[in-house]
Amino acid sequence: MNDFWIITTASLVALNTAILGSFLIMRKMAMIGDAISHAVLPGIVIAYFISNSRASFPILVGAAVSGLVVTALIQFFSKKVKLQNDASIGISYTFLFAIGIILISAFGTNVDLDQECVLYGEIAYVPIDLIYWGNQSIGPRQFWILFSTAIIIVTAVIIGFRKLVLTTFDESFAAALGINIVFWQYYLMASVSLTTVVSFESVGAVLVIAFISGPPATAFLITRSFKQMIMYAIGFGISASILGYYTAVWLNGSIAGAMAAVIGLQFALVFSIVKFRQRSRIQDIPVSGA
Amino acid sequence: MEAQDSSIETHDLTVIYNKKPAIWNIDFLLPKGKIIGIMGPNGSGKSTLLKAIMGITEPNIGYSKIFNKPLDEVRDRVSYVPQRQSVDWDFPASVYDVVAMGRFAKLGLLKRLTEEDKHIIKDSLEKVKMAPFANRQISQLSGGQQQRVFLARAIAQRADLYLMDEPFVGVDASTEEAIINLLKSLRDEGKTLVVVHHDLHTAQHYFEWLVMMNTRLVASGPAEEVFNEQVLTDTYGGTLTTLSKVANLLQEKSFPMRHK
Ligand SMILES: Nc1ncnc2c1ncn2[C@@H]1O[C@H](COP(=O)(O)OP(=O)(O)OP(=O)(O)O)[C@@H](O)[C@H]1O
Ligand SMILES: [Mg+2]
Repeated sequence: MNDFWIITTASLVALNTAILGSFLIMRKMAMIGDAISHAVLPGIVIAYFISNSRASFPILVGAAVSGLVVTALIQFFSKKVKLQNDASIGISYTFLFAIGIILISAFGTNVDLDQECVLYGEIAYVPIDLIYWGNQSIGPRQFWILFSTAIIIVTAVIIGFRKLVLTTFDESFAAALGINIVFWQYYLMASVSLTTVVSFESVGAVLVIAFISGPPATAFLITRSFKQMIMYAIGFGISASILGYYTAVWLNGSIAGAMAAVIGLQFALVFSIVKFRQRSRIQDIPVSGA
Repeated sequence: MEAQDSSIETHDLTVIYNKKPAIWNIDFLLPKGKIIGIMGPNGSGKSTLLKAIMGITEPNIGYSKIFNKPLDEVRDRVSYVPQRQSVDWDFPASVYDVVAMGRFAKLGLLKRLTEEDKHIIKDSLEKVKMAPFANRQISQLSGGQQQRVFLARAIAQRADLYLMDEPFVGVDASTEEAIINLLKSLRDEGKTLVVVHHDLHTAQHYFEWLVMMNTRLVASGPAEEVFNEQVLTDTYGGTLTTLSKVANLLQEKSFPMRHK
């Protein structure tokens, strides 16, 4: 049963991140996961001081709020100050991370708190933290959190799909149609914040970052349409969860590490196949007079 | 010309980036049913002017009207064709997908394309001779084909006014001719076409009305009136090379103009 819950939980993370990561890659914002993993620190610290506890709910709220703050900062730097996307992301999250560090060192010398309590969620522990209905266990808490998140994300993306695709592909054309591009940017980024923060807690930041950029990048190599890219990315993400899990069991190693490694291998493999095919196609062209 | 007969009307339109004006105090009335050229050197604010008129960039001062109404009331009668380089052509989509975007404004969030939409998309692809490429990936198109796809998307909007940012850049002579013929046939249907353009030689043949600008408006009027030495020098500056080019152009001034 443990296998089942771990694989299912990882697959839910894979599902959410594959959908959102596909948009982020095409918007050249794949590093946003990395950014949010650092930017949540001040939110966590402030939530800790206000609630005076390490209970995970207030901490999650704090993290989600800073996820939105970093989104707003990125938006501000790229639209108002007119910096490049990647530069805006870099500045915004280092700024928030620094604030988090300052807060900790100013108030928290005797505080037992660091990023790890949220960021280094360990997927191996997922089956331990169960939820009970009466006195009957109905599965791990993380599973239910991620399951609800998946429903929210899938619904949000289906409803906004056309607008999200249009604003991703051609922002000025979308604006000319009267579409509020800032609204859709926040719509997407709120979904990304929710997903990353919730997933950090269950599978850890490193794996979330790998899931956001890896499977969509692999899918991009072989896709013909954006919908198909999302479907392939989901397929790669879920198969990496399954393969990664059994690899870890087989090698008796880290589950998150093995999943991330499979994601990397998938990309390398698909990339080589695509390159190899291109090369053999070029060789197929008959050379006249040779 | 009265305001109610105009296609576009701007008043003191000004856009400032980082304390430097990109366009300054642009004031003009453009006629309906004509092919109108917007010309000026690089960085003179042509793209910014189109974006300000389309509400993509918020003007710092001034306003514009389209068909004598605020943009929001007539948005579905206006089509904007961005500079081709402004999008990532590696985006996973087919030619058909991109042209279909021309129908999105009229669609609800979850509605599917109707049979009529599909017919319009096919028809638009045929008008730019891209129908055989409908299922082609946009990443596999040449520059000229990309430009045709953008035009097809605009035609699919079935608008009355088209604002096009440099549709002739990077296309070969035959595509350029195909595009100008397409613009003329749209004009003959009574549509208004506003086209940002760079080539002074062809400008004389393509446009019935010219807007010459260099951050400020230099001149706006019927092409044969605007195309004179003074205006060209004011627009392109007084460097020797440009001046001699201007002289050459004026010698060729026997260009054929359509008078009604
Ligand atoms: N998003 C922006 N942020 C900052 N400055 C900008 C921006 N867009 C344009 N500018 C500046 O505004 C001025 C006008 O630019 P614009 O692109 O409108 O010129 P253009 O006439 O279209 O030039 P080109 O012929 O090269 O296309 C330029 O000096 C440009 O650097
Ligand atoms: Mg331009």
